[in-house]
This record gives sequence, C-alpha cells and structure tokens, in this order.
Amino acid sequence: MSQLNYYECKNVSKRYGNLTALDNVDFHIGKNEVVGLLGDNGAGKSTLIKMMSGVVAPDTGNVFVDGKETKISTRKQSEEVAGIETIYQNSALCDDMTIIRNIFMGREITNLFGFMDHKKMEDLSLEVLESGVHISGIDSPLKEIGALSGGQKQAVAIARAVYFKRKILLLDEPTSALSVRETERVLKYVTELKSENVSSVIVTHNLYHAFQVCDRFVVMSHGKVIFEKNKSDTNLDEVTEQVIKV
Amino acid sequence: MKKFIDNIRSKPAGGILLLFCTIQVVAIIAGLLYPENFRYLNPANIAVLLKSMSALGIMAIGVGILMISGEFDLSVGTLYTFCAIVTATMVKEYALSPYLAMIIGIIVGIIAGLIHGNIVNRFTIPSFIVTLGAMLLWKGGTLLYHGAKSLRYKYESETYKTVLTGDIGVIDASFLWFIGVGIVFYFIVHHHKIGNHFFAVGGNPEAAIAIGINPKRVKLIAFSIAGGCAALSGVVAMSRVGSVQPGGGLGLELEAIAACVIGGCALMGGRGSILGIMLGTALIYTIQDLLLLLRAPGFYFEMFVGGLIVLAVIINVTIRKRI
Repeated sequence: MSQLNYYECKNVSKRYGNLTALDNVDFHIGKNEVVGLLGDNGAGKSTLIKMMSGVVAPDTGNVFVDGKETKISTRKQSEEVAGIETIYQNSALCDDMTIIRNIFMGREITNLFGFMDHKKMEDLSLEVLESGVHISGIDSPLKEIGALSGGQKQAVAIARAVYFKRKILLLDEPTSALSVRETERVLKYVTELKSENVSSVIVTHNLYHAFQVCDRFVVMSHGKVIFEKNKSDTNLDEVTEQVIKV
Repeated sequence: MKKFIDNIRSKPAGGILLLFCTIQVVAIIAGLLYPENFRYLNPANIAVLLKSMSALGIMAIGVGILMISGEFDLSVGTLYTFCAIVTATMVKEYALSPYLAMIIGIIVGIIAGLIHGNIVNRFTIPSFIVTLGAMLLWKGGTLLYHGAKSLRYKYESETYKTVLTGDIGVIDASFLWFIGVGIVFYFIVHHHKIGNHFFAVGGNPEAAIAIGINPKRVKLIAFSIAGGCAALSGVVAMSRVGSVQPGGGLGLELEAIAACVIGGCALMGGRGSILGIMLGTALIYTIQDLLLLLRAPGFYFEMFVGGLIVLAVIINVTIRKRI
C-alpha cells in the first residue's frame, strides 16, 4: 500500500499555544486519486492543508514524498519538491491582470534581461486553456480575470496548476463561492485531472459534492483523523454521521 | 465598434486617452478658428506647455509605479527639493561635474526611497503614515542642510546646458527627459517581469505570495523608483529654472498622485499604466493652459484640477463597468 502513496505524513502534530490543531495525524495521498478531507469547523482540516502546502511547519512528525523522507517548511519547497499547489476559495489570481499574466505570474517567460516574451506566453496560454482542463466560455487569454465568473476563475487556477505539472492539488473550499452550475464544472475538472496524473485533496462542507468526486474519505475531528474509508466501502449516511458526531 | 469600445475599456489608459483626445481636438479646432483670440497653436504657447509639465511628469511616473504596487509616497515633493539642493551644493561647493552631481542627487533619492520602503516592510505600517513623516523630515532636512535661502544653480558646462535646458524648435530638453523616462519605465512596467510583479503585488498580495513572489522585495524596488524619479525631476526642474527654493516642492506629491489617478491608476494598487500617468500629467497642464488662454484668473486653476480628478475617475469607472 505505502509504495502507491505519492505523499504521506506520519504522526504529525501542531500546537498553537494550548490548542492542539493536529494531534498525531497520519495522512496520505495516493497516485491518481481524489481524497475528500471532511470535518466540522475547527477539526484541523485547514491546518493540515497549510502544513502540506508548507505555509505552516509541523511541530513533530515526518513527511514522505514518493517514499523518501522530505522536509517541507516553505511554500516554495512544497511546490518544487512535492509539486503541491493550493487552490483557495478566493483563488490566487489578480482581477486586474489578463489571463496570460495570471497564468505566468511569478514564472514569466523572459529573455536574458528579464523582458517578457508576450507572444510565447500567449501561445502557451491558449494551449493551457484549450487542452487538459477545458474551460468553457473563455475566448481569449487577453481577457482580464476580473471579467470571468467564479467558476472560470477557479478553472484558470486549476489549469495553471496542471500546466506547471503539479502532482497534487489542495482545494480548500473551492466551490463555496460558486453557483450550482459552476460547482458542477469545477468538480468535473477535478475528476478529469486524474487522467493527467494529478491527485487532489478537497476540503468541503458539502458531502454531496464530496461523494460525487472523491475516491476516499478522511474525516477529522479535534485535530485527529477519526474515520477513513474508500468510497466503495461506505455510504453517504455513514460519512455524514462521522462528520456530525461530536 | 464593439471591439473598439472593448479595447478602450480593457486598457487602463483608455478612458483618459479618450478624454485627452477630445480636449485636444476641441482646443485645436478652436485654435484654428480663432488664431488671434485663442492662441493654443501658437509656438510660444506649445513651448511653455511642454516645458512646464516635465518635472511633475517625471515625478508622477515614479509615484504611479509605487501606486500600482499598492503603496503611496507623500514625501516625493520635499524629496524633490532636497535632492536638487544636494546636487547644487555638490557642484557649487565641491566643484563636482554637474553630471556626477546629478547622479549623486538621484542616488540620494533612491536611498531615501529604500529607507521608506524598509520601514514600511519591517514594521508593516501603512506607507501613507511613513511617508507623511518622511515628507516633513525631508522638508526639515533641506532647511537643516542648506538653510532657507534660495539657491542659484550655475554650471559652466555648455553641453550640460544643452542636454538639460536646450530645445529643438518648440520642444524643450526637459520634455525629452520626461518622454525618455516614460519610455524606459514603459518597458520596465509593461514588458519586464518585475512590472508584472508590481501589478501582482498591488492587485492581490496574497496571490503574489501564494505564487512565490516576495512582495517586500517588489515594494522596495518600487519605493526606490519613486525616490529616484523624484530626485531626477528635482534636478531637471532646477537646471531649467536655474535656481531652487528650499521651501518649494511641497504639494507636488499630491499633484503627482492626482496625475496618476487621472491617468487611471487605482488608489488601492494593481491597476495603471505609464501612458495613463503621462496623459494624466499632460491633461492637468493642458487644462491649466486652456484656462490661461481663456484669461481665467490664475487662482481658479486648482478648482478645475479638483473637478478634473473627480471627472476622470468617474469616466474611468464608468468605462470599465462590467455588465
């Protein structure tokens, strides 16, 4: 089993003063799978996501990437070593900039002197928008992000992660600001990503959404993992019960 | 037609370009119709108009870049005077070449900008507050360094005179400096990756961090550009006029911010363009010129600039309203 895991953390704990946010948590992400990370508010889901993306350093515990023990303590390390990208509710995009400039933000294609190759970035953006995760309704990469709907924005953020060959997407409440139709679309992207060899972890309060796309469910409560089962071994009622029990 | 409107709407300088062209067309037609009474196209008028806008324009470019990055610098007005005086004393008292003195003046401006930026970064306090303090600091610093006497700036070099105060027809050298600075920063802001980072940091700092851009470093660069531009505009203005007033410069910072806002820079950062800032400056001076030609008393002028600021922002917002 453990050979199949792309990312794994063992006995991870994190305390904030008196509060134990993570209490000896074991968590893993396999290859090509979608994990639903569930639990009530304050269960520790967000801390776990932040720990995996390198924004928060754990007090104790070990992290393994591809079976090798790794230390991840900055956002850059999680990106470069583990190929992790986080997508938040308010995605990491700038409204006043074009799609191209957002896709290549911080990773601009430049010449020797740092001047940007606009033509190349535009061509690649078109490719990003057309291939892999198909984003409907966007006709030009010169459009400003602010002109897109919430779902399209999330899709651009996801497409960006795919283009830069991320292995794991951490989606923290990705659909909470979206309309029903947009939510469907984003969830569809997530399942499509499996064929691009990208695994995802979705944090959500909406168990129906989770059931639609996830292969495995992990429920947390008070900083501990209290339940973990594959979709085929459980049902919506059982997961719901685990989430709401105190 | 729709494409044309979309195009204007999507450009940060779109609204201001439209306003600027309209005013120019009206003024030129009026100038052609009434060449005797309304001397807009008179070469002397054009020369004065181009000459007067350069100092504010150079300063506004620096201020605008900082605004795009989401910060303010209120100290550029007094820093402008301080750096000019430093440059002048280098020439007068230490007999340095005016070029070297100019470079020293600009370096002083850049260092001042770096100090402002460092304080903002380290203590995470609003740049508005930091540079409000700096504004008074540089004003007092000028008086401490030089006293309250006005300083004449004389230089022997003929080439320096030509480079900074010469003219080609109606075009004054200082205007060419303004255009030159504009072109350099156009390429930096709109075509260099650091320019992309200015917009990212000003538009959504969290996104910038999430993507691995260091906002503190980017802001520091923007602060140093604002300081350097303020210093350069001080030296250019002083060379043109031939003297510098230690009490001068105060108030220019607000005019520079006004030029940026008229030119489509967002007050909270993330939006703006070099072309817009340049047009914003040009518009302020065009309006001033038109009022003078219409024989309006000089002290009305500011009233119109005030109106123009609000009008320009209304136009910018309306034109960008998304349906």
